[in-house]
Amino acid sequence: MYDERMRQTIRVAGRDHIGTALRIPDFVISLANLWHRRELLWNMTVRHLRGQYKQSILGYAWALVMPLAQMLIMTFVFSTIIRIETPGAPFALFLFVGLLPWNFFSTSLSAGTDSVVGASSLVTKVYFPREILPTAAIFTKVADLLFASLILVGLMVYYGHAPTETVVWVPLLFLIQFLFTLGLTLPLAALNLFFHDVRYLVGVALTLWFYLTPILYPIDIVPDKYQTFFDLNPLSLFINAYRRVLLQDESPDFGKMFLGLGISVATLLVGYYLFKKMEPGFADRI
Amino acid sequence: MPTASDSVAIEFRNVSKRFMLEEGRSLREFIPALLKGTGWSDPFYALQDVSFTIRQGESVGIVGRNGSGKSTTLKLIAGVMAPSEGEVHVHGRVSPLIELGAGFHPDLTGRENVYLNASILGMSGKAIRGKFDDIVDFAELWDFMDTPVKRYSSGMYMRLGFSVAVHSDPDILLVDEVLAVGDALFSEKCLAKIREFQKKGVTIVIVSHSPDTTKNFCGRAVLLDHGCLVEEGRAHSVIEHYWQLVHREEVGATASSQSVTAVPGSLPNQ
Repeated sequence: MYDERMRQTIRVAGRDHIGTALRIPDFVISLANLWHRRELLWNMTVRHLRGQYKQSILGYAWALVMPLAQMLIMTFVFSTIIRIETPGAPFALFLFVGLLPWNFFSTSLSAGTDSVVGASSLVTKVYFPREILPTAAIFTKVADLLFASLILVGLMVYYGHAPTETVVWVPLLFLIQFLFTLGLTLPLAALNLFFHDVRYLVGVALTLWFYLTPILYPIDIVPDKYQTFFDLNPLSLFINAYRRVLLQDESPDFGKMFLGLGISVATLLVGYYLFKKMEPGFADRI
Repeated sequence: MPTASDSVAIEFRNVSKRFMLEEGRSLREFIPALLKGTGWSDPFYALQDVSFTIRQGESVGIVGRNGSGKSTTLKLIAGVMAPSEGEVHVHGRVSPLIELGAGFHPDLTGRENVYLNASILGMSGKAIRGKFDDIVDFAELWDFMDTPVKRYSSGMYMRLGFSVAVHSDPDILLVDEVLAVGDALFSEKCLAKIREFQKKGVTIVIVSHSPDTTKNFCGRAVLLDHGCLVEEGRAHSVIEHYWQLVHREEVGATASSQSVTAVPGSLPNQ
């Protein structure tokens, strides 16, 4: 479909352009377009946030209810019924440091996958860089994450476990996790337009992924022969690193952090490429 | 009438647009089709080898019966679709007056939606703040700016959408059957606004089923039938031709002899 004639299409001033073959300069132009439209990204994020809680009595407090309930139930099941040993930190705290980044990842992926399909009335009317839709969906989840972090602060106060200076690693770790999340969400959001099965696949995959990530249990109890497999799971790398810097007061394992960074950057590059490649067909598929 | 300059605003060069008719949408249908080596459905040509040029400051009407490819043409100009073959060149900022208020979020207030919709159309926050009063004035909705738009009547909804779009300072305005926004009074106001744009040298593309609108606003028109360009030229003679097509259809004869596509019926998403 991308024949030679289309590739010659001139990029005209004043109108964002779609329908070109992707080369490195196109990437740069895409990113420049995205930067140019950052206000739209911001407005879309605010729109999601305001819309999300506008009709509810508890409002933004809903962002706290779900993680709080999860934490209480899981703590009861896995520290009272099934006793999982978490040396160095009480189970509730240990769990929540893993649950927060996981929830961010999982809600971002679900919301991001639906973001383009959900904006179908816009996608068929006006052009704007479509990656704004999944990106805004993920930004919304960043806001939810910040709210839910209040619970973590509360837990730390309750257990008298103040983080030390290694807490400064958290923003960097989160940035790496954000890149990975965005990189995975972009192609899924695009594919969801072509096959509506994708959203269901994402739901199933997330459920399985949750158990294969050390959230409910420490990575140390995983038998050695499976450790490599866990090291290839970026979420496992991220969550272990968060626990190290927040609970064990150690710097992250740099080897693993760079591995996580490498996987994240590669995922984002491939994901963004695939997204832009599919973008010209979006309006045809709605 | 303003004089059209020589610079090109919109150019279609041998543009074709193919659609796959809606059939296979799940993997259940796609994977067997892939294994058999067949596509998932037969292609349908919404536009076939269409070429025309619109110069800056011109007002051009696109006429044709249902399913002739008018809306597809607008979508190609708006940049939401890419051509399957050929090239589409558009110079300048496009503001689509297509189904107004498409980007409105029902739970947000009128004010919040003005900001959101204007930024979707490419306005900066500063520009929106500068024009906010004009937008609300034009829409005559001062009392409802803090009301969620889901409480709006459909007329109010459209008025706000129209108002945002015309204040987005477009170089090219795409108008699709929205001239009947709201009551007669507001409708007059919209038409006056479009005249004002014409005077300012904004390029205007109008898709309308009403030949009168086209004749009133456009010097030139393009006639499409079954995805093919049948005639391009002075609005009056193109409209004549359009009537002939419609008439011939009524008489029961087959569609225009110029139309090459054999696929009957209209496009599903038009």
